[in-house]
Amino acid sequence: MVDSFRYLSPTSTAIVKMLIARAPAEPIPWAPLPRPLAEATIALVSTAALSMATDAAFDTEGERANPWWGDPSYRIIPRTATERDIVASHLHIESAYLHDDLDVALPLRRLEELVRGGLVGGAAPSHYSFQGYLLDPSEFLAASVPAMVEQMKREAVDAAVFIPV
Amino acid sequence: MEAAGISTIALSMVPALTAAAGAPRVAAIEFPFGRPLGQPGDSDMQRAVLRATLETLRDATAPGTVVELPFKWPEPPDQVHWHPKEPSPIGRLLASDPSLFKQLLKGEIPAAASRRAP
Repeated sequence: MVDSFRYLSPTSTAIVKMLIARAPAEPIPWAPLPRPLAEATIALVSTAALSMATDAAFDTEGERANPWWGDPSYRIIPRTATERDIVASHLHIESAYLHDDLDVALPLRRLEELVRGGLVGGAAPSHYSFQGYLLDPSEFLAASVPAMVEQMKREAVDAAVFIPV
Repeated sequence: MEAAGISTIALSMVPALTAAAGAPRVAAIEFPFGRPLGQPGDSDMQRAVLRATLETLRDATAPGTVVELPFKWPEPPDQVHWHPKEPSPIGRLLASDPSLFKQLLKGEIPAAASRRAP
């Protein structure tokens, strides 16, 4: 049995239990995989606040100034990115591991291997990252999610793999 | 995203929250924060975790599917370090003012959460 609270402090456990209790009971959305996995195009989405070093980083100064707030924007990470190309700006995790090896959180190389092995049809040209600490996700949902969906549709993405950190 | 016809799956270390938030498909894993696929350099583990996640995406037939992945974290619990060297801003704020923590536990999220400047 996977213990959701295995690595959380008592404080964080209490906050997560509160979030579970106040999650609205809504119908769960469902889009069937539109084609067999072996023919499907996949995009990865990481919550690790990853940005290309050539792009603006996530706004950690804003979160330091107002700890209730988290940057609700998103970044595109190209399929060929490696740990040498990215900056991680998440203030709630140790980012040293993914700076050593990006595949611990955004497994682009592992995805390419599974494409070559035939499990998956293809990796999308663009993958995505946002900053997962969002006590109020309304701006993220209103602006960032539709923009990511639009880019995915342009690139004929069939399925997205969300990878929280 | 599903409404736009894109299937989704989440590889989650807190599956209780991910499922409660309404994720259609969840692959649950008991790994420390920051390294959901495995240790740096452990390509075999990373590939196995991603493969199992994608197989869950392929095989799930009903909304709300949660599949528990069988992987075990390779370090003893007392050797797992995942916290940042500098505590998070909200962690420090809550530690400095227990009344804010109590307020948050009641589900009262301050209006300051919605704007960069409070």
